[in-house]
Amino acid sequence: MENLHSVYLEEAEDLFSKIEESLLLLEKSPDDSSLIAEVFRSMHTLKGSSSMYGSNKVADFVHNLETIYDRVRGHEIDLTQPIIDATFKSLDHLKKIVQSPDIPDPIDAKYHEKLTADIIGLLDEYSSGATPARREAGSIKNTYHISFSPNKNIFSNGTNPLLLVDELRDLGSSRVYTNINKGLISKNADPKECHTSWSLILVTEEDENPIKDVFIFVEETSKILIEKIADVDLLILPEFTSKLPPNDLNSKAPTLKEIKKWISAIPQDAIDRVADQLIVSDDLEDGEKDEKLQRSHSQEEAITSIRVSSDKLDELMNQVSELVTTQAGLSLYAENNFDPVLNAIADNVEKLSRQLRDIAFEMTLIQISNLFRRFNRVTRDISTQLGKSVKFLTEGGETELDKKIIDSLADPLMHLIRNSLDHGIESREERIKLGKPEKGTIKLSSYYSGAKVYIQIEDDGRGIDAQKIREKAISNRLISKDDDLSEREIYDLIFMPGFSLAKSVTDISGRGVGMDVVKKNILDIRGDISVESKIGEGTKIILGLPLTLSVIDGLLVKVESTSFVVPLVDIKKCFEIKREELSNDFNELITLEDNKIPYLDLRKEFLIKDENPPEKASIILLENEENKIAVCVDSIVGEYQAVLKPVGKYYRNQEFVSGATILGDGSIALVLDAYKIIARKIVKQKKSA
Amino acid sequence: MRSIEEEQENENEVMESYLSFKLDDEFFAVDVKKVIEILEVPGITSIPLSPDYMAGVINLRGKVLPLIDTKVKFGLDPIEFTVDTCIVVIEIEVEGEVLQIGTLVDAVLEVLEVPQTSIQPSPSIEAKYRLDFIRGMIRREDDFIMLLNLDEVFSIQDVIYMQEANESMSSEELTEK
Amino acid sequence: MKKNILIVDDSESIRELVGNSLENAGYHVLKGINGKDGIEVLKSFEDTVSLIITDLFMPEMDGIDLIKEVRKDSTYKFVPILMLTTESQAEKKLEGKKAGATGWMVKPFEEGKLLRIVKKVIG
Repeated sequence: MENLHSVYLEEAEDLFSKIEESLLLLEKSPDDSSLIAEVFRSMHTLKGSSSMYGSNKVADFVHNLETIYDRVRGHEIDLTQPIIDATFKSLDHLKKIVQSPDIPDPIDAKYHEKLTADIIGLLDEYSSGATPARREAGSIKNTYHISFSPNKNIFSNGTNPLLLVDELRDLGSSRVYTNINKGLISKNADPKECHTSWSLILVTEEDENPIKDVFIFVEETSKILIEKIADVDLLILPEFTSKLPPNDLNSKAPTLKEIKKWISAIPQDAIDRVADQLIVSDDLEDGEKDEKLQRSHSQEEAITSIRVSSDKLDELMNQVSELVTTQAGLSLYAENNFDPVLNAIADNVEKLSRQLRDIAFEMTLIQISNLFRRFNRVTRDISTQLGKSVKFLTEGGETELDKKIIDSLADPLMHLIRNSLDHGIESREERIKLGKPEKGTIKLSSYYSGAKVYIQIEDDGRGIDAQKIREKAISNRLISKDDDLSEREIYDLIFMPGFSLAKSVTDISGRGVGMDVVKKNILDIRGDISVESKIGEGTKIILGLPLTLSVIDGLLVKVESTSFVVPLVDIKKCFEIKREELSNDFNELITLEDNKIPYLDLRKEFLIKDENPPEKASIILLENEENKIAVCVDSIVGEYQAVLKPVGKYYRNQEFVSGATILGDGSIALVLDAYKIIARKIVKQKKSA
Repeated sequence: MRSIEEEQENENEVMESYLSFKLDDEFFAVDVKKVIEILEVPGITSIPLSPDYMAGVINLRGKVLPLIDTKVKFGLDPIEFTVDTCIVVIEIEVEGEVLQIGTLVDAVLEVLEVPQTSIQPSPSIEAKYRLDFIRGMIRREDDFIMLLNLDEVFSIQDVIYMQEANESMSSEELTEK
Repeated sequence: MKKNILIVDDSESIRELVGNSLENAGYHVLKGINGKDGIEVLKSFEDTVSLIITDLFMPEMDGIDLIKEVRKDSTYKFVPILMLTTESQAEKKLEGKKAGATGWMVKPFEEGKLLRIVKKVIG
């Protein structure tokens, strides 16, 4: 704090000399607006920092000076010699009192008072007649009706709605009614939620803006209606106040409609009586009306699209999926009861809830251009940093994807673009030598194909040398010399952990995040990644992504009494076998269509007590790019479109469970992550080998 | 005009409310402000290979709620389901995020109103339970009721550590998340 | 990871005061001496700035223009911006709000209030 205070004093000294300098120049040219602005700004800064360092006497003193220069700046008053003289005197005084802001010396204190009075005198002298219209407007009292229904989560962001109500009450005289949603104040009510709303009748000299100001922090989430109901003070009219219900918790707040009815019932002479006590300026009122009209007009125009917080959308999706689940239960019940009427209703509900679900899904999709745009500047910045010249193109920005997917794409895409800039695109000189266009090109594009969205990052750089990857992989012992790999398999090696091609670790992409992490990020959102490249011509990286993360097409299976969902995309084939075919195989290999395939018995794997395993079992053949694994379950129920829900952090070590879904009967099925299941088997195999 | 006002805290004789419940023959209590609701035990889906005190997940009106066997967590025998068995749904803060979890208890008793001043520090002599789990004690006739420090009892760190110790997973798998 | 907060004010003493409080509270503080400088600092930290706190009157580029400039760039569309105002600037607050500010703080404020507001805005 000591240190900070000396920073403040030094800064004040600087500001004093700045102001003095400007004032000297202003004496010669008092109309120089940039000099006046400079003085005003310096005073403003001085006021701000003085107030922060606890010298309120200094801050107040500077405030008055600042006000003078604010008016000079706004051409309300001219900068006269008396003002300049007073400013110089004030500066000399300020230099003294910033050192000891409490002004302990009685002579200084007296001088302080005198100077303050002088400055206020100057202000008054020049203000009379200068700003009359505004002053007068202030004496007109208006009555407003304000209804304020905070979002029920208002407490959670630290706002106390009562303080807002108090703030409103500070604006004038008021009647406040509190509406408590009694239906919700039951044993189930969440004490952290706000189920109270307020309506106020407020009489104030202010216009609507200060009222709106009160709600600036909460206006997006709360329902706020402000309406001027009279341009006089209604609360001093007994004809009005007698109608108002008593101000306690038991009385219901009058509705706006009721209030308006009461107002129209007030005799005109009563209103005139109140209005006559005030000076009403007619033209000003008209102006206000116009403004109000304009405002309501622009509000109408804005309503074609609205902003909704993503939390609300998530909540909507939750409710919709619950509806779909409930509906599945209804359909099941109807089917079992052979009631044609019930059946028809169930069918209708099913149709409606599907439509509703589709609409809700659509709302959670956002255009990928939101993400693409982010890379525009970054690309420019990085290429400048690298001394490369690059053209950045995007295509298909209108493609829509689940917001969650877009969010998790930012990092991997950033990494891929950095890679292209750093390792792909050649330096300008090199490009000229090769006869390529001087400017390199990086193209980011997106398109739909089938049930997937594809994103491509394409550059016209040097390309990736498959031979070099192979050599490096051999030297890193990722593959052996004799391995015969396809081009695609070779390119896939760059996604292996610890594989890095760059000769030197540069600042740009050498931040310890390799392509393996990129691949993991993409797999996490159930996507895939592949590389195409031609030496000397460029590289193309293609990401394939699901449209949404919230729904998964899966196969519903059972192991003992637990239901599991296996994603269909990972399933190659299903077989039915006899359980005994498994039990005598020592290597945990099963022969399917003449191939020996390692298998994983979920009963054994999940340590389910082997009481009475059914005779028959089902085999699901899972496949990813590298491996085939057979998974043994008790039975296959059928295909199932699962609305995916997280199982939460408590189960994050059970990573083979990627989520859960709620079945028609309300029970929960666990969604399995096929990649992780395969990985489990591979790890086991390696251990036993 | 003030944008955000100071919150006033006026703490004279503050009464606090606690929900008490039983695990075996011992009494425990949690701050009612943390309690969302109390449920009867519905169908539970257990998650394979999770620690013993992670009792599975339940469907709470469309949400998947993790369930903890509070007794195992306190070193007692796993819960046996009776008509009195309840799930107390509580809200805790984990890694800066507010989560809801269900905790299985033998029986829910009552809501106690106690003055803040009557809460005693837990004696270290009776170190039957981990000290960081207990926030204090309330004397009720002849019994002591232990006030739980929920964020501590049900912290995820603990879940993860316990699991790391219990399970033999390859280090590669553990570092993934 | 510490959150980055950018404080833009032409007053060194305010930058230091606010900066110190925020640093003690565990944030990483970046500083700009006027609107222009603030934007340069902001951009050089790409999209890692979690909150911008700006004074309104500054040489070169004032706070309102800073807010407008920041909001123009889609990268920073949702970065919260708090204005530092003085009691006398009611209209400026609205102007700032229209330009896209998230909220304001009236000078003088105490450290506790600053931290509470910052916490409220960015957690």
